[in-house]
Amino acid sequence: MQTKDTSLLEETHRQQADIANNYLADFQPRMMDWNAAKIFAVKNLRIAIRYPTNVLIWGLLPILWLAPYLLMMTAVAGPGTSEYFAEVSGFDDFLKFAVIGWFIFKYIDASIWAIGNNFRWEQFSGTLEPLFVTPVPRISILLGAAFSDTVQTTLSAFILLFTAMALFGVTYTFVAIGPIILIMLLMIISFYGFGFMLAGMILVFKDPSVLTELINNAVFTVSPITYPLQVLPAPARFAAYLIPSTIAIVVVRELAITGTYDLFQFLQSVGFMCVIIVFFWTLGIAVFNYGEKWTKNRGSMGGF
Amino acid sequence: MSNAITDGIHEKMIKRGGIRAELRAANALAIKQWRVEFSYPLSVLYFIVMPFLWFLPMFLAGTAVAGSPTSSVFETYTGTTDWITFIAIGSAFSGLAMSLFWGTGMAFRREQSVGTLETLMTTPMKRDTLVWGTMLHNVQHGGLGVVLQLTFSVLFFGATLNLWGVLPALGIVALAVIGMQGIVFAMTCIVLLAKQGWMIIEVISEVFLIIAPISYPIAVLPPILQFVSLGSPLTWSVDAFRSFLMYGLATPAVIQAVVSLVIIDVLFIAVGSLMFRYTERYVRSKGALEQF
Repeated sequence: MQTKDTSLLEETHRQQADIANNYLADFQPRMMDWNAAKIFAVKNLRIAIRYPTNVLIWGLLPILWLAPYLLMMTAVAGPGTSEYFAEVSGFDDFLKFAVIGWFIFKYIDASIWAIGNNFRWEQFSGTLEPLFVTPVPRISILLGAAFSDTVQTTLSAFILLFTAMALFGVTYTFVAIGPIILIMLLMIISFYGFGFMLAGMILVFKDPSVLTELINNAVFTVSPITYPLQVLPAPARFAAYLIPSTIAIVVVRELAITGTYDLFQFLQSVGFMCVIIVFFWTLGIAVFNYGEKWTKNRGSMGGF
Repeated sequence: MSNAITDGIHEKMIKRGGIRAELRAANALAIKQWRVEFSYPLSVLYFIVMPFLWFLPMFLAGTAVAGSPTSSVFETYTGTTDWITFIAIGSAFSGLAMSLFWGTGMAFRREQSVGTLETLMTTPMKRDTLVWGTMLHNVQHGGLGVVLQLTFSVLFFGATLNLWGVLPALGIVALAVIGMQGIVFAMTCIVLLAKQGWMIIEVISEVFLIIAPISYPIAVLPPILQFVSLGSPLTWSVDAFRSFLMYGLATPAVIQAVVSLVIIDVLFIAVGSLMFRYTERYVRSKGALEQF
């Protein structure tokens, strides 16, 4: 009986080894493995579901970061608006202006902190090196991670938006929901490229907190989240347009507050965002591949 | 190492004691933390640039609504039209508070993550020296950040400081550190019990920062928060620190601020220390010190 069991077990092992060997023998390197991306996204979402408070906390915490700005602006200009603000921004309510900006900032924050740092977290869990010896394109893994982060960020961003609307008494019009979704989608796709670039940099520099904090603060400062671009010096305004979210914030804010946008300008914005997507994906994949190669050559993949 | 030498070291360790020994241990911990930070080259850049990047968005948001370096609305709340100096000083001080809350509050967790907490706990230093030592590092780190941010604000944003107020402002920092250390002890308890306590620390520190008059006077807060704000050491310290740096020795209502700060300090440090002592003992009795 025992001999029969052992031989069955051996047979199963042999079959499994054959499947793996055949897979490896037939394996052709691909640019993208969608199945691997899906598996990685599901794995990350499964982990996220285990900690549901994280989504809630990340939806509510930004209110504690946004509130000081609104309180300071109220102390400087009085409640709600100022003549100068209306003149430079074209909007008469800085609360409305800022809340929608912070809603989009959630995606910027996620692309910098979550997508870029995914491999670092794998490194902390001790699974980075096993992951890197799998015959799967790294970009598939990153894309899977980015997709799961987008799902979580969208939940948090809506918690933030609705809580802030209730707390600060602001409302938006959602008549132009289609164009808003289109612009947001383009922004998210372009941020994937941005996140790939950061992931490559984090592989090289290791300590992600400092790098991500620096980039996050710099991006936040030049983005029209709490204040309009017009208050920035000209070179900073130029730099702002190189960030995937700047155009998106401007267009989505206009659509959410007024419900209208000039068609020609809208199409121009869509075209510009498509260019940004191509630019950041090319740059992101190149930086990531270089970072991976650099780290492998030095044998510091699993090092801290 | 020969037996005679190791015996000598052990004898010295057994005999060690007193405040000087604890100070030496705290100093060694502070130096160790500097070494760790400087082993990451980006940390140095971060340290220099961050005070600037923290203040800049506040400055831009203020500019977007004020349009000039003065505001008459601001004067009705604070008695000064110079909102830039007001925010620059408050924002600089908040850097120190954040450094203390985060750096010191997470000290145990950091040591635990790198696997050195139990080793540190078996050294003959007092348990709370680990927290005080990290605090010493963060006062140096955060203090240098305050100096950098104030220098940037004066050089690039037109903030004006009264140099006669620098020494008394340093006295306020000393009093502030004592009160904030009480909060940090409480945060350390949360980290020891909840392990992944960063979420709670983030919420607690943000709440303390929101109710403090850092970039706005507490008059713009809802009445209930204004009342809560009066019980925070951060409120009185930021107020007194800024008053000295803006008005020099002729600071209005400073005696009230200092007396309130001293009373709050005594309360916070006593409660914080007691909480820490009991929590640390409890966690060790459960054998959960090194658990993740």
